[in-house]
Amino acid sequence: MHLNAAKRLARDPWFIAGAGISGLIILFLASSPLLVVHDPHDMDFIPFSPPSAEHWLGVNDGGMDIFSELMAGMKNTLHFGLLTGLVCLIIGACAGLFSAWFRGIPDLIIMRLSDVFLAVPAVMVLILVAAFFRPSPFYLALVLAALSWPTIAKVIRAQTLVVKAGMHIHSSRQMGASGLYVIRRHLMPELYPLYLIGFVSKARMAMFMEVSLSFLGLLDPGRKSLGMMINYALRYYYLDIWWSWLLPPVICLTLLIMGVTFLALSLEKIFDPRLKEIM
Amino acid sequence: MNLTIKNLRVTYVSNEHRLLALDRVNLELTPGKVIALVGESGSGKTTLGKAVMGLLPDYARVKGSVSLESLELLSLPAPEMNKLRWSRISMLFQNGAESLNPVYRILDQVAEPLIQKQGFSRKDAGLQAQKALEQTGLDPGLGSRFPHEVSGGEMQRCLLAMALIMSPEIIILDEPTASLDAMNKTLIRQVILGAKNKGQAVLVITHDLDLARDTADEAVVLYLGQVMEVLPAVELFLAPRHPYTLALARSYPALDTHRDLGGIRGDAFYRTVHRHREENGNIRFHSHLIGPDQEHEHCHATPGGCLFVDRCTQALPECREKEIAIQETDGYELRCLRGGIATLLRLKSISKSYAGKTALHPVDLELKAGEIFCLVGESGSGKTTLAMIGAALLKQDSGSRIYSNRNMDQWIRQDYLSLAGKIGLVHQHPAQAVSHRFSVFEIISEPLKIQGYYSRQEILEKVLSALKDVHLSTEPEFLSRYPHELNMGALQRICIARALVTGPSLLIADEPTSSLDPSVQAKVLKMILDLQIEKGLTMLFVTHDIGLARKIGDRMGVMLAGRMVESGPAAQILNKSAHPYTRLLINGSGSQVHDGPVSLKAGRDRGCPFVSRCGWKRDLCVNDNPETRQTSQGDHFVRCHFPLN
Repeated sequence: MHLNAAKRLARDPWFIAGAGISGLIILFLASSPLLVVHDPHDMDFIPFSPPSAEHWLGVNDGGMDIFSELMAGMKNTLHFGLLTGLVCLIIGACAGLFSAWFRGIPDLIIMRLSDVFLAVPAVMVLILVAAFFRPSPFYLALVLAALSWPTIAKVIRAQTLVVKAGMHIHSSRQMGASGLYVIRRHLMPELYPLYLIGFVSKARMAMFMEVSLSFLGLLDPGRKSLGMMINYALRYYYLDIWWSWLLPPVICLTLLIMGVTFLALSLEKIFDPRLKEIM
Repeated sequence: MNLTIKNLRVTYVSNEHRLLALDRVNLELTPGKVIALVGESGSGKTTLGKAVMGLLPDYARVKGSVSLESLELLSLPAPEMNKLRWSRISMLFQNGAESLNPVYRILDQVAEPLIQKQGFSRKDAGLQAQKALEQTGLDPGLGSRFPHEVSGGEMQRCLLAMALIMSPEIIILDEPTASLDAMNKTLIRQVILGAKNKGQAVLVITHDLDLARDTADEAVVLYLGQVMEVLPAVELFLAPRHPYTLALARSYPALDTHRDLGGIRGDAFYRTVHRHREENGNIRFHSHLIGPDQEHEHCHATPGGCLFVDRCTQALPECREKEIAIQETDGYELRCLRGGIATLLRLKSISKSYAGKTALHPVDLELKAGEIFCLVGESGSGKTTLAMIGAALLKQDSGSRIYSNRNMDQWIRQDYLSLAGKIGLVHQHPAQAVSHRFSVFEIISEPLKIQGYYSRQEILEKVLSALKDVHLSTEPEFLSRYPHELNMGALQRICIARALVTGPSLLIADEPTSSLDPSVQAKVLKMILDLQIEKGLTMLFVTHDIGLARKIGDRMGVMLAGRMVESGPAAQILNKSAHPYTRLLINGSGSQVHDGPVSLKAGRDRGCPFVSRCGWKRDLCVNDNPETRQTSQGDHFVRCHFPLN
């Protein structure tokens, strides 16, 4: 099954669309040093200038180049999402593997802890933390990851339990394999699709969260962000400028979320056997 | 009159070397007793007969003594010896047809000893001979025919009549039943038993183990001129103690053995002693074993070691070096450093329960080196649990495990890796037993990598030889295939190769063929049997299919509701099953046995677990769980209040 997964992915329209969009965005961001000529924090330009050769998307109310802002904001959002996804994955995978491998009391503790975290709405905690402590986005990402690892842990634990009961694990143990060997050679490779799914879905969630928080103005106002851009642009929606100020961040955000969502969907569809019949 | 053979040593001398045909053989023939001398051809059986008769060729050197009461036969002058022959000691020669004169009538030839030795008149002798011929069941008119006019079986019986005609005290029969059909064999058997009842001493030299078992009191097993084992003949098939005897019995197509024929690995050799003149002028003798196709290429036998070592299934390094004397214990004589067939795995009062539900009540299991033990029973009877405890994959709740004389539980704690390399495990579903992410090479090399002390080159060599053992391709293209590209049969072979790659002495197979179709199953089973013979593997074979167990099992254990209800030699269990449940397994649902579910309820512990389905049950069975008891047939145990037969 694992061998033709790559082939099946390549034929899946969701995957092609998701990978295409994400690829384009990443290519776009990677080429930003060539495209962005202005410092996004520079307030030297004439406010509300319409798009021109100098300013591709015009200038905002504070005299800042909107295109530069857009690029910086997208980068920030993407970084935030990737960081959260990664940390989430590490915590979740470790917790899941640990509790499935040892069972017993460690399993009990970790699983009850994850239930508690699942019950707490991450948005509320994040808003409170952001409002009261004003942490840097890096720490905020860590807080978000610390709140949202349980789903990954549960999925990894469940799959580990299934794989662990497999005959080839028994065989391997009977041959005298150590626990580390079994985890490295037998368990980790089996869980590989779950890492991908977990990482992508958490990254998507985190990006959305970052945009929401900055839209609400809970993040550092000096830090460029898509949410903040939308917020500011909305204040001047009656001006003609909205299509070059409001529209680009909205489109970019939509594309970003869409790309990642499509990826997550197609990965889940291919790797999660339970979804095979439904989708 | 007793014939006593002491330290008999016969060497055939040629220019180059001496062929040691008999090496310090002791044997005693007493009146009214039949002794069977068995062994492969080349083991020196006929030489022994000829030595007693004083008929060895000139180039034979004989040492030791053969005495009839106080009369030493070896030093007897030829005319004296001639008097003894036929009158006191007679011998039926192998391919005796050639020893009859083609131009005389049979009757005359049979009568000849009487005329020659006892001075009978021709007429009397003729009448006597006619009677003797009729006693062996021959047609009265046969005596007037010429040797070329009678069939092989009739000829053999004529010769037997000739050997018996003077009622000698000692009769030596060399392959009396070779090339005879079943009817003639039965007649010869009767003649032998008749001679025994008349108080004659009979030595039957044969490779026909059936004949040996049915006629002889004692069987002497000869290998390369050495006596390997002396045992009651009835135990030849049931309880052989020397690996060689077991292998002989397994190779013999006995009617009541259902198992496919095995063989003995390697070839029978000739044993020669070679003379070397060393530089200092001393002459040194030097032992060789020469195979049939290695006339000039000598393989040196280590002086003093066991002769059977290269073909033995349980040889230790010491077997090669230490001289092993024949030892006598309660009616047996045995030449084996390990004291006979060793017990490889011994599980003692093993019990196990899963979450309060008892899977195994205390169960005993003994695996002897080199045998295939089949564990049969319906699903849920605990056979897999028992096998997995034997494979060290599960831990028992109570009881002890001993693997080649070492406490397994201790071994697992101290150094599991070294134990793991000695036990191979094959699972029921090959597709689940391998990781689908591993290539063929990765699957088979996994145990070696886990063991960790092999170089890349070594691993490749071992993997390739394991693949050869299971008759699979060793092409690089095949090595890099993945499980889903292979069929079930090939995959199961790969699993077997994986189990064998570390060179284990025990293979535990849990329903290894039940997921295969019959034609593939047949191939895999045949391969397993070949492996057993070639590698001397001991095998615990778990199966629900008694028909399959019958084809491969040397011994068998029947399990029911976590108990071993019957165990013993496979032929015994199949032909004379003592437990009603075994009957049920063999016959499907027999008329006396009701088919119904086994109750595993806790309350059932009081009575026999089979009581609800048993047609022979009595009041005692309902309330009292029977203990294991031994049946009258040796190594056969049954757990039943009222065993059948």
